[in-house]
Amino acid sequence: MNDDATVHVVHVTVNGEEHERTVPARQLLVHFLRDTLGLRGTHIGCDTGNCGACTVIVDGQAIKSCMVLAVQADGLEVETVESLAPRGGSLNPLQQAFHEHHALQCGYCTPGMLMSATAMLRDNPDLSSMPDEELRRSFKGNICRCTGYENIVVAVRAAAGAQEVTS
Amino acid sequence: MTDTLTEPGIGTGTSWQGQSVPRKEDGRYLRGEGAFVDDLWMHRMGYVYFLRSPYAHARILSIDVSKAAAMDGVYATLTGEEVAELTDPYFQMAPGAANGMVDYCLAVGKARFMGEPVAAVLAETRELARDAAEAIEVVYEPLPLIVDGVATAEPDAPVLHEEIGTNVAWTGLYDYGDIDWALAQADHVVRIPHMYFHRFSSTPLECNAALVNWDPGTDTIDVKSNIQMPMFASMYMGPALRIRSDRIRWETQDIGGGFGIKITTYTYITAIALLSRKAGRPAKWAETRSEHLMGSGHGNERTFLDIEVPVMADGTILGFSARAFDDAGAYLRYEPLGAVIWSHVLVGCYRFKHVRVKYTETLTNKVPVCPNRGYSRLQHLWMVERIVDLVAHELGFDPVELRKRNYVQPEDYPYEVPNGCVYDSGNLPLSLDKTLALIDEPKWRERQRNAPPGKRIGIGIGSTLDSGTNNFGQSQIINPQLPFTGNGEAAIAKLGFYGEIQISLGTVPQGQSHETTAAQVAADVLGVSPDDVDVTAGFKSLQNAYVGFSGTYASQFAVTGLNAVAGAAEMLKAEILKIGAFALGAAQSDLELSGGMVQVVGDPERAIPLAGIANLALANVAALPDEIADTTSLTCRYVYRPPFEVVDTERKWGNISLTWANQIHACVVEIDEATGQVTILDYAAVDDCGIRINPKIIEGQVHGAAAHGIGGALHESFTYDEETGQLLNATFFDYHAATSADIPHLRTDYVESPSLTSPNGAKGMGEGGGAPLHAISNAIQDALADTGAVVTHAFNPPERIYEMLNADHAVRGVEVVSR
Amino acid sequence: MLMAPVRYVRPDSVGDALEALEGEDGARVLAGGQSLVNALKLRAARVELLVDITRLAELSEISLEPDGTLVVGAAVTYVEVERSADVARALPLLQHIAAHLVDRQVRNRGTVGGNCCLNDPLSNLPPLFVAIGARFRIAGRDGLREVDADDFFTGPYQTAVRHGELLHSVVVPPLAPDTGLGYQSLQLGAESWALARAAVCLVGDPISSARVVLGCIGPRPLRQPDAEERLIGRRRADVDLQEVERATAVGIRAFGDVHASGKYRLAMAKTVAGRAVAQAIGTEGTA
Repeated sequence: MNDDATVHVVHVTVNGEEHERTVPARQLLVHFLRDTLGLRGTHIGCDTGNCGACTVIVDGQAIKSCMVLAVQADGLEVETVESLAPRGGSLNPLQQAFHEHHALQCGYCTPGMLMSATAMLRDNPDLSSMPDEELRRSFKGNICRCTGYENIVVAVRAAAGAQEVTS
Repeated sequence: MTDTLTEPGIGTGTSWQGQSVPRKEDGRYLRGEGAFVDDLWMHRMGYVYFLRSPYAHARILSIDVSKAAAMDGVYATLTGEEVAELTDPYFQMAPGAANGMVDYCLAVGKARFMGEPVAAVLAETRELARDAAEAIEVVYEPLPLIVDGVATAEPDAPVLHEEIGTNVAWTGLYDYGDIDWALAQADHVVRIPHMYFHRFSSTPLECNAALVNWDPGTDTIDVKSNIQMPMFASMYMGPALRIRSDRIRWETQDIGGGFGIKITTYTYITAIALLSRKAGRPAKWAETRSEHLMGSGHGNERTFLDIEVPVMADGTILGFSARAFDDAGAYLRYEPLGAVIWSHVLVGCYRFKHVRVKYTETLTNKVPVCPNRGYSRLQHLWMVERIVDLVAHELGFDPVELRKRNYVQPEDYPYEVPNGCVYDSGNLPLSLDKTLALIDEPKWRERQRNAPPGKRIGIGIGSTLDSGTNNFGQSQIINPQLPFTGNGEAAIAKLGFYGEIQISLGTVPQGQSHETTAAQVAADVLGVSPDDVDVTAGFKSLQNAYVGFSGTYASQFAVTGLNAVAGAAEMLKAEILKIGAFALGAAQSDLELSGGMVQVVGDPERAIPLAGIANLALANVAALPDEIADTTSLTCRYVYRPPFEVVDTERKWGNISLTWANQIHACVVEIDEATGQVTILDYAAVDDCGIRINPKIIEGQVHGAAAHGIGGALHESFTYDEETGQLLNATFFDYHAATSADIPHLRTDYVESPSLTSPNGAKGMGEGGGAPLHAISNAIQDALADTGAVVTHAFNPPERIYEMLNADHAVRGVEVVSR
Repeated sequence: MLMAPVRYVRPDSVGDALEALEGEDGARVLAGGQSLVNALKLRAARVELLVDITRLAELSEISLEPDGTLVVGAAVTYVEVERSADVARALPLLQHIAAHLVDRQVRNRGTVGGNCCLNDPLSNLPPLFVAIGARFRIAGRDGLREVDADDFFTGPYQTAVRHGELLHSVVVPPLAPDTGLGYQSLQLGAESWALARAAVCLVGDPISSARVVLGCIGPRPLRQPDAEERLIGRRRADVDLQEVERATAVGIRAFGDVHASGKYRLAMAKTVAGRAVAQAIGTEGTA
């Protein structure tokens, strides 16, 4: 072991599955998810925590996984985009709404956007009384360069109107 | 004369084209199963990190990699000195002195912009590559630098490239009609001494990345990358690496946005290839956002000087004269094509007859520019639209009426522009009316009159064009020696063993929905549904068809890509019918393709499924007569070739683009007088891109282009320090990419003026033409109407507006001389 | 993007945390990480040991005492502030600031203590806490000590927290019923880079006490005594906002950077101060 660095054994539940791994202190959660666990759906778009492409849900809260150390996720539950629909199975209502309303183009911001939306909809299942400006503000931490955000707003509202929201 | 449609387009109810078919490519993106470059991995691969110059201009006295190379797990290092031995400089498109510019994949002898890569490391982990790069010792001798794109042309400016002895990369005079006569004739001449369009970037969310393997056994280079024009890159890299260009095998799949910013990365890929060969391992590189902002590429910045606009008493604008300086940065990459591409839209939306532009492209100690969404045209279009708006403002014309008077009229199409471009179709007055209706202009005029205390409201119009499908003969206007003319795109349509329809393309989508629209086109030709058509995701050079200019850029896919698909599908259909005619004992003219079957019209019993056709050609071929077996393969490659001609380089005359989509935007802003802050109160865009293949996808492009333009107008601008040449905003902290809280609700509508020059009547439209920049500048001008201020910058942050509000306007940015 | 090698420890108690912090010079508190992790990724900060306090319950509590004193633990996140009924009762302005800061993801992790201890000129909370005369409870080997807000923010990125100590909680004194509060920022882009910020606290009518505090413009929150003088003794209805603005930011040399010139920052400091005073006057009794 390097004097300058520590390693830690962490237990992290990701998408319902428990993992035990040894991680260096400096490893970011996003690299843990992508490289250590091979979950490539969470993306990296910047190096200053501004773009939100790396957004995942940790203990029920949307957070930027590039701004959290892997070791800080020890004992916690992480949800990534891969949890939204079973492999080979149907898209969930939120994903379906994104599809129907053309809320994605290149797809790079989409995982982070979906996780932000998922967390937001859990807190606010009914968006009918949320003004447009406030809804737009709630996505401020997720940059998209393709859609101009217009269809994303439409899709999230449509998903809120759908019967079932992700649990 | 064109027919302008305002109802959904072509075909019968069974036509897929014209329908908003949901996207085929969505599934994998929504599930997080996209394959972006950084998701890929190869056995034994290493990670690349580039060491970059902290100086804007410096001689490299020495580079010592020994400490880095000695670190355990470092596989290889690369310096400029090695690069100069192993490669030849990239070929230059510029003529004259600039043709001798020496440009390598790493800085050789000198660094010419902050962030220029000077060395590279390949190591076992990302962290180690970065740590090892920090251990490389470089001794620099800083040199005087220049970041002013106009002053750099002066004789006393520090020269970036001693081997060419000048910072002027190209200069030319575009002179059409007789502007001196027009200026003498005019009832008014409006003079604008200085206008400036800034550097910004579309900053795709995925940064540049590549996984390169120079395989020692076969001596081929496998590149998995997100570059938008891989074959163009081959043309550069082959000679530079002293190899056959077809030794480079390209593979792209999912790309997280491009917008033109992912065109010039062949320099990085070259260096990565050298590292891979040196180490005998695959090498993966994924730049960080900071590296992207400082080291990939920015959009062109352009200064316009001494603008003169002759105007008649009735508001007819005769044309304009201007000097333009385009700052290309430290090297010419894709440039100086920008020095001619702007002239696709020489007169913007207007019927000006007399235009003179003295155009100079210069070099400065900044990162090289690359084609940024709206490449080279949006700068010019902004200037033209500002001119029109200022003429209205200064001479007291209504901005709507003045535009309508000067617009190319619906009955004028096809309209020959003074430089030989032929605008294909449009109905600008109708588009303008629709835009104004969307924002309910009278309502805002009323609110403007009764603005709350401390606030000013302004309404601005932005008319713009999106020229699509380049005629690369335009390059010969820049340099008559260049062997480039015309354009093209290729597609392959084939049947699989069981009649499966497969399409592959030369295009390289980064979100433009090619898999869906190509499927729609093929489905219409072959009588199936888009679900039955498989469109290969991405581009693989060993498998896909391509031509020299294949790729996804320049708003051309709807024309070049889709017409290539249509052509390939038609070829396949002809072969299918030929085999079907034999199999059914019918005449080809009696057959139709429907629902996956070849059948005799009116006799559905006499039918054969596509699987049967495929079987005959692919596995049962002795059953076919020679004449049919010899002329069918069910793999049909088609190249769509737009009807371009060689350009007259002497006169700089010719049709250098094929289609001209247009967008008219309207914007309502509210300005806080105390702070200069701008709030967008309302925003509308009307797009006319001819026949719309998939309206929802087109609308999505309009939204995206609008957001980029709003970002560029109010939030995004790259600033280099004049003294040090440092890029002052090289992170997403400091460079404010527009967020959902910055972009308002975008109202949209459309007009459909079918193109007369494109076989499917569609026009490319993805870039948009920068209309928000025009509309917002004009809205700000309108809000400041009574202050004497003149908007002369495309970028208007609060401080600039505050200054305009508080300045003494004794010396204004505009002067009117009237007879 | 990639951090330098670092050591990490997550102590189970405040006492253990203090021991770890005291143990070496290069030890730093890791709370929400929304600033520190960035600084480490950019290699703008050099830290040897990260001491993670985010799971220490003692630092994550919000309590409202019977006399109206609000105590907010240093590790309380912005979203916890946003949702707290106690904060809603005692200091709704704090809730408003916490709810509009940066973005949702940052609000889920970032902490009150982190914001205060960073003391970046752009930090949202320091000007507010100086304006309302909050106190900062600092935990050290010898127990807790309190420092007034006026003395807490000592310099750029520096506070009264010494080596081996950590911020325990922020104590907001009960505000007088006739308190008026104002808080105004000027930001580039929605809720983004701040160029100017003012926090104002007025008591009484006529005004018996006034605190006008500027953020963004100096190394730490700056009280504006000249502006305060123009307010004390005045009836609220007679306050001359332009006079207050003129008396604000006098003699301050504002820095210029890529976002704005010093001249503009200075002008905007005056403008937001005037607006914050106007807001304070208009919100009498609704602290």
